[in-house]
Amino acid sequence: MSLLSFCEWLGQTSWSRVLREAPYPFPVLIIIHIVTIALFGGIVVLSNLRVLGLAMRSVPVSQVIGQFRPWKWTAFGILLVSGTLLAMSDPLEYYGNIMFWISLALLAIAGVNAMIFRFGVYRSVAAWDDARETPPGARRWAGVSLILWITLVFVGRAIAFF
Amino acid sequence: MFLLSVLQGIPEALPLNPIARWEWVFPVVESIHICGFTLLVGTVVILDLRLLGVFLRSQPVSRLARELAPWIWAGIVIQLTTGPYLFSADPHEYVQIAAFRNKMLFLLAALIFHFTVIRKATAPAEASMPLGWRKPAACVSLGLWLCVLLAGLWIGNL
Repeated sequence: MSLLSFCEWLGQTSWSRVLREAPYPFPVLIIIHIVTIALFGGIVVLSNLRVLGLAMRSVPVSQVIGQFRPWKWTAFGILLVSGTLLAMSDPLEYYGNIMFWISLALLAIAGVNAMIFRFGVYRSVAAWDDARETPPGARRWAGVSLILWITLVFVGRAIAFF
Repeated sequence: MFLLSVLQGIPEALPLNPIARWEWVFPVVESIHICGFTLLVGTVVILDLRLLGVFLRSQPVSRLARELAPWIWAGIVIQLTTGPYLFSADPHEYVQIAAFRNKMLFLLAALIFHFTVIRKATAPAEASMPLGWRKPAACVSLGLWLCVLLAGLWIGNL
């Protein structure tokens, strides 16, 4: 089954129809999605700024990242579920929207980028946990991460524009 | 009213206003507004959650507040620049939208609350409020910022 015919089938399911036609589910999901973006985004931005050495310098890096982690993953889970449901409301519309695909690609790149940090330079965090200057490798990661997430906001907004 | 006369002057200037001339300007500025919101409210929420004691408990509240303050200010500056510019796209329309007026009221309340009660709650020990007041204060702050976001979403009719 091609992706297109999958989208056609998905669009005809009763789930999709309810999400598309009932007055409440869609706006409620958008509210949940955007409120959670504010929480998730805030955590990601502050974590990155900490790794860049620009915010919360008196708090060890591992403490910022470790203590935010459950909140970050909870928020991410909510975003994933609400985002999937939003996309399900009109699969064919999103299938044909280039910005939707770019936003998914950016999300994947941001995920890979986070993994590279997590299993790369972050493994030696004990050595630079309290350092005033974080290692260039870590700063580079955080800079790329910030740029990716900011770009994702622009592209995400553009989904509704295209 | 001064404010009203300023608003009435905007339509004549509108053809020169990039946001009224090209349709892509609005979503671009709006995207900056969303990033600014994330920075501002994300930072405020982290401070509120610390007051509630959900994380970073080993960190003194007053030091965390001091270290986060520049980012809250950065967020405020971004929002108070992009927000009025978005407003200039169609001022007459916006003043008539109840959600817009509500958002401004919530915003005013949230900012005043932040710079009075939350500032006091995050002050060094001798200047701070009784510990028992910290959590309710953090909850009110979270609620006010949530109202700002919800009213803002409502402006675009979702």
